Amino acid sequence: MAVKTPQLNLSSGLAIGYRSPLARTDQEIRLEPGTHFLIARNGRGKTTLLRTIARSLRHLAGDIEAQGQMQYLPEDLRFDAELPVHSLFRAMIPKARLQPALELAQRLELDLHKPYGKLSTGNRRKTGLIIAEFSLNPDEPNILLLDEPFSGLDARAREMFEDIWRASSDRILRLVSCHPDYDSMRMPSALLIHNETICHSREDGQTWSELKHQLN
Amino acid sequence: MRLFKLTSATVFRRKTWAVCAFTVLALPFLLTRLSSGTENPALFKPALAQAAWAMTWLSTMFWGFFAAAKCGESLSRTGLGEYFQTTGVSATRQLLETWAAILLFVAPLGLGAALVCIVGASPAIPAERAMWIATNFQYALLFVLVVAPLLALAIAIASRFGSLTGFLVSSGLSAYGLYGVGYMKMLVSLEGNSLLSWIWSASPHYHFADPTERLRYKMGAIDWSQFPLLLAYFAGIALLYLAVSRLLFRTKAMA
Repeated sequence: MAVKTPQLNLSSGLAIGYRSPLARTDQEIRLEPGTHFLIARNGRGKTTLLRTIARSLRHLAGDIEAQGQMQYLPEDLRFDAELPVHSLFRAMIPKARLQPALELAQRLELDLHKPYGKLSTGNRRKTGLIIAEFSLNPDEPNILLLDEPFSGLDARAREMFEDIWRASSDRILRLVSCHPDYDSMRMPSALLIHNETICHSREDGQTWSELKHQLN
Repeated sequence: MRLFKLTSATVFRRKTWAVCAFTVLALPFLLTRLSSGTENPALFKPALAQAAWAMTWLSTMFWGFFAAAKCGESLSRTGLGEYFQTTGVSATRQLLETWAAILLFVAPLGLGAALVCIVGASPAIPAERAMWIATNFQYALLFVLVVAPLLALAIAIASRFGSLTGFLVSSGLSAYGLYGVGYMKMLVSLEGNSLLSWIWSASPHYHFADPTERLRYKMGAIDWSQFPLLLAYFAGIALLYLAVSRLLFRTKAMA
């Protein structure tokens, strides 16, 4: 039977890390379509977890089951400094989705003719995010892993991307690592890495204000 | 084919390929005007042919392998290789797409040299002209067969050890195969050392793909009965280098 919605299952006892475990799950975690935030203090394993799910790193124990086309956007992803943004889009985004991507770029005030190397940090982030969002295959379930996508992004751009995520939350699973910067940020679904344990906190009205006490 | 499109857009944008195109297509004509070839008209055409192929090999060694190495290093160190891998593009496919994009710019250099020789230096006699065209066609093919696996090697080594290493190994191998092997043969004849003899035998004899002598002295095309053997020899080297390239290639730098 064809899978129509993306899904991510992290088994109980899943251990992530390099030579030794950095963190592990103590119960099974199942993520459905929608946006899930990944939060932890520095060095606790956010990027390691994302890379492990993306199969760029091997897990040390347990199992990961991912149903959907994967895409992992590293925080430090860089394109050639001399390529202008429109050339990047033409190379990376399918033709059918290029026009909407260009329109979004203009709404985000991204200079399409500027070489990538001359963009600010925030505008580089916008470039990567647009490429990731518009590379998604609309005919397949998709899993998008975003490593610190808000870093350097202004509030307006952030809101626009969050609106896009809300609009496609029924068919795309996004796992977004971030360091929230305002207490009222809504996080109805969040993976927390704390005390070397990965757990899932799910509650409709949940905000960063409640979650940060768990991390601290 | 996103990586292929991205790499070819990157190489195109840098515009250095235009300098190489000028070097191969125009510089031979300028150089022969500057040289003593103008004093003896009989020397003009052989000089043009020699200059065209010399410029092609120099452009390939100094620009082609460097461009390949830069792309290989960039893939592993900018997160691009990891990104593509997570989207299902395997390491083998990444190597192939990057290699194909670079080859798209380098292979025409050989065709350009052949074109310069055919247009600017063809003999007047029709029978000789046909042989001239055949010779240049053969060497354009051999050029691609020699250069293609070295480009893959440059990409792969650079992805693991950096662009400088990738460039030096590939350009060093090509220089050795074109020119150094001759000196190695002299050394073997003088020394009679079995190790040196083995090294000479195992060396890549790229000088078989250098048409300079054959064009300069109008020795004609390689015998068509022998040509497949030459193709097979270089194809064998290509397979070996491609296998080594795949083993060395890395989509992400070690942490």
